[in-house]
Amino acid sequence: MENPNESIARAPLPTEKTLRQRKNLVIQFFRFCSINLKMIKMIRKGHHPMERKVK
Amino acid sequence: MARVVILGAGVAGHTAALHAKRMLGKQHEIVVVSPNSKYNWIPSNIWVGVGKMSAAQVTFPLAPVYKRQGITFHQALARAIYPEGDLATDSGFVQISYTDPTRTGEIANISYDYLINATGPRLNFAATPGLGPDGYTSSVCTSGHAVEAAKSLEAVIATLKTGKRQALAIGVGHGTCTCEGAAFEYTFNVEHELRAAGVRDLAEITYITNEYELGDFGVGGLVFSQAGFQTTSKLWTESLFRERGIKAILGAHVSKIEPGEAHYELVDGSTGILRFDFAMLLPPFRGVEMQAFDKNGQEISEKLFAPSGFMKVDADYSGKPYEEWLASDWPKTYRNPLYPNVFAVGIAFAPPHQISKPRKSPKGTLIAPSPPRTGMPSGIMGKLAVISINELIKNGPSAQVGTASMATMGAACVASAGSGLRVGSAASMTMYPVVPDYVAYPNTGRSLDDTFGEIGLAGHWIKLALHYMFIYKAKARFGWFLIPE
Repeated sequence: MENPNESIARAPLPTEKTLRQRKNLVIQFFRFCSINLKMIKMIRKGHHPMERKVK
Repeated sequence: MARVVILGAGVAGHTAALHAKRMLGKQHEIVVVSPNSKYNWIPSNIWVGVGKMSAAQVTFPLAPVYKRQGITFHQALARAIYPEGDLATDSGFVQISYTDPTRTGEIANISYDYLINATGPRLNFAATPGLGPDGYTSSVCTSGHAVEAAKSLEAVIATLKTGKRQALAIGVGHGTCTCEGAAFEYTFNVEHELRAAGVRDLAEITYITNEYELGDFGVGGLVFSQAGFQTTSKLWTESLFRERGIKAILGAHVSKIEPGEAHYELVDGSTGILRFDFAMLLPPFRGVEMQAFDKNGQEISEKLFAPSGFMKVDADYSGKPYEEWLASDWPKTYRNPLYPNVFAVGIAFAPPHQISKPRKSPKGTLIAPSPPRTGMPSGIMGKLAVISINELIKNGPSAQVGTASMATMGAACVASAGSGLRVGSAASMTMYPVVPDYVAYPNTGRSLDDTFGEIGLAGHWIKLALHYMFIYKAKARFGWFLIPE
């Protein structure tokens, strides 16, 4: 079993640009919309089987 | 008139109760039995555990909501199920013991036509000596635990401010724990708070977990597409750990806690001691202490419950090797095979197998994350049971009931740190399905379109929105049923 901390030390680090983007209100607003849409799609997919059955 | 009795008022039980009243109306009676007087939106306990929210912000009294909805509420603990009734009655009933301060200790029998077991877990701190608030570690499993965790963390931050180094251990306190996502989220909340307090450089944070790899989360890890590549939750999580300077101990079974020391054994058989000044370690779960009896009073608990104490439903419990399990082995209707008017949903149902590969140390210690079945899947199961009961009431015992396997439903996990709208960050993940289906999705077990991970402030807004939205829904405010589980 590999020492996890050696693996962590080799993991990719985000660049300054990525870190700024993660906090940028405009970019994050669009990400917020995008993530919500993805979640809604996933939720609809997951709710579908039971509701279809009982119709 | 049918009586539907629901044991438990957590996400699964409370969702079931509200939908039952909405769907079945006044002509049927809905009864909820819960030992707690308050509803707790547990995902937000993480914020209580770092002092960013009060217990009052994540809880509310159940009785007024149930009174408004016309639901009968007993603040009591379910002690035994008599699914065949007894010598005096043919109707199934539940024996309860009141925890309501005005009736403490009083015993009553409540008959049912349909029973939904949504009792959630017993927090099995006893599995690891010294674990938990009665031992030497904190917990965020209940709002009360989280309040105490926040106090302990505050004391550590005060010590750090004097210039003294402190060690913080966060993770899970046993080899068979679940909810690694919550431990992960708490880790990054604590890291955020230490940074905000200006003492991060003096604190060493170690995440100790039974996961074999970072990013496993008890679901065998995730594969998602990012920037044109398929990447893994392992790499993604390791990147976050590196960025925030957090160490990890993986594949660990915490065997004993002593003051300031967590003793652990790893999958490879080695042992170690993690020293801490503050530790938040989640406990393993067991089924609640509830027995079952047949008509003659003979105990049939082994027939109704798995050895873990969780209730058996329509899953394949044949005990095949891990490598042979299929997504189709997971339950679809959550009905007990012996007593089809009994359902078990949320954490209360016995999963047929682990999703993460179980491992044993050379000494034979099982180190295997248990499958998570909280949050969104719990709510869906609660609603499903009610849809099925509605069908059974309307069309009789041969009615077609609904299905919602964890192999056909997704889940979202938003691990958020910080508070307010401008300060904070979150790791947002979704997966579809929760239980990998290598028949439907041969390469990764899950849909790449619906499984993703992203880090940023947007996830923090989502977590805040979910907090207010789900408490609104749980309070059964106007239009609550339009909010999905």
